[in-house]
Amino acid sequence: MKISAYTLLTLSLFSFQATVLSSFNPFGIQPDFCLVIACLIGFRTGPVHGLIVGFGLGFLQDLFSAGPFGLHTFTKAGVGFLAGVFARNLSNREPHAVFVPVMACSGLSAMVFLLWSRMGMGLGEMLYGFSYILLPQAVLDGLVAIMANWVSVRWWSKRRIHEGRPVMNRREVRQ
Amino acid sequence: MRGRFRPGVFWGSGVMRVSVAVLVIAFVAFALLPQQSQFLFHAFGEPLADFVAIPVKGMATLDRTLREWWMQYIALQGLSQQNRQLRETIQQLNGEVNRLREQAYMAERLASLLEFQEDKSVRTVAARVIGRSASNWYQGVILNKGEDDGVREQMGVITPAGVAGRIVRTSGSTSIALLTTDPNLVIAGMIQRTRDEGMVQGTSQGLVRIKYLPPLSSVKTGDVVVTSGLTGGFPRGVLIGEVVLVEESKDGLFRTVQIVPAVKSRHLDEVLIVVSPRSPEAVPPLDHALIAPGP
Repeated sequence: MKISAYTLLTLSLFSFQATVLSSFNPFGIQPDFCLVIACLIGFRTGPVHGLIVGFGLGFLQDLFSAGPFGLHTFTKAGVGFLAGVFARNLSNREPHAVFVPVMACSGLSAMVFLLWSRMGMGLGEMLYGFSYILLPQAVLDGLVAIMANWVSVRWWSKRRIHEGRPVMNRREVRQ
Repeated sequence: MRGRFRPGVFWGSGVMRVSVAVLVIAFVAFALLPQQSQFLFHAFGEPLADFVAIPVKGMATLDRTLREWWMQYIALQGLSQQNRQLRETIQQLNGEVNRLREQAYMAERLASLLEFQEDKSVRTVAARVIGRSASNWYQGVILNKGEDDGVREQMGVITPAGVAGRIVRTSGSTSIALLTTDPNLVIAGMIQRTRDEGMVQGTSQGLVRIKYLPPLSSVKTGDVVVTSGLTGGFPRGVLIGEVVLVEESKDGLFRTVQIVPAVKSRHLDEVLIVVSPRSPEAVPPLDHALIAPGP
C-alpha cells in the first residue's frame, strides 16, 4: 500500500513539476518541488523513507534531465535522508521550522550541481551560479517548504480529528 | 534530550546503516566511474522513460488544453489569437530574412567561382515541447519525439527563428534537448558579415557568447551570428543571435562577443529536430572533392 502510494506520489509530482509548474519561476529561479517533497517526507516519516522517496523522485528527474544521469538521484536521496536525520533532532514542530533545514538541504544539493556543471568554466561562472542561482533557490525552496508543510500539517490534523484519533502520532507523543 | 544529536538512535537501526552505506558506495562509484555508471543508469532508465513519458505527456496535454482554453475564451480571446499569429509570422519572416541574407552573402562569394553548388534543404522532424528539465543548472526541454521517430543524440534543434539547442538524451518516445543558453552547450558559429568563426557557448546569465574570434576581427555590435555548419548537427547559416557586446580577452589573443539569442527559450512550444543537416546528394563526389588531380 505504502509502495503504491509513494510510486503514485513520485510519478504525479514529477509530471506536475515538469509540465504545469515549469512556468512558475519567480525572479528567473525555479523552485525544486521534488526536493521539497523529499525533505518533507523525510521530516514526517524518517530518514529511510526520505531516502527512498528522494531516490525515486531524483531518478525520474534524471530520466528527463539535460544533465548527467545520477546527479538528481543521489542528491535527492541524500537530502531526503538528511531531512529525516534533522527531524529527529528538531525540537520545534511548527510549520515554519522546516525553513532552515530545507534551505540547508537545497543549498547542499545545489552545491553538488554547481561544482558538477560549472567546474572548469572560470571563477566568474561559479560565483554567478552561487550568488544568483544557489542562494535564491535555497531560500525559495525553504519558503515553498513552509507552505507545503503548513498545508500538510493542517490536512494531517484534520484527517486525524475526523477519524477520531489524536492529532499527534505515537512518536510525537513519546518525544 | 530533544534538540541534540543522538548518535545512538541514529546509528542504532540496521536499515539505516545499510541505507547510508549503499548511498555512499553508489555515490562514490558514480563519481569515480562516470562512464560505467552512466551506462548502468541508461540501461535501467531507458525502458522506464517510455513508461514515465505517458503521465508526462498526459499532463502536458491537459496543461496545454487548459492554457489554450483560458487564452481563447476568457482572457482577451480575439487579441491573444491575433497576437500569437503575428508572433509566429514575425518568427517565420525573421528566419526567412536571415536565410535570404545568408544566401546573398554566399552568392556574392561564390559568384566568382565557376563551380557553384546549390544549398540543399535539410531534413527535419517537427516536435512539441511537453515539459522542461526541472533544474536551474541545466536548461533543457522535453520533446515528444524520440528514437522511434529517428531522433538521435547530438542532433540539432532549431525553430523558424533560429538555433534552439541540441539533443543530449533520447528514449523511445521522448528526447531531451539542451538549450543554447546553457553553459554546457557549445556549437560552431560565425559572424555572418565578417565570416569569422568561433565557438558559441551559453552563459549562466541566459545570454550566449562566441569565443575564440581572431583579435583582428572587425565584429561590431549589431552583427548577426549564424551556425558555421562545420561541426555538429546544424546546417550552415541558421541564425543564433545578434551581437550586443564586443570584448578583448585578457591575454589579447582572442575576441569574445556577447550575443542575444534569437530564440527565447522560455517561449519554446514547437521545434524542428535536424535529422540530417545536409542531404546526401549535396556532398560532392569523392574523386572531385578530395583527390588532387595527378600531374
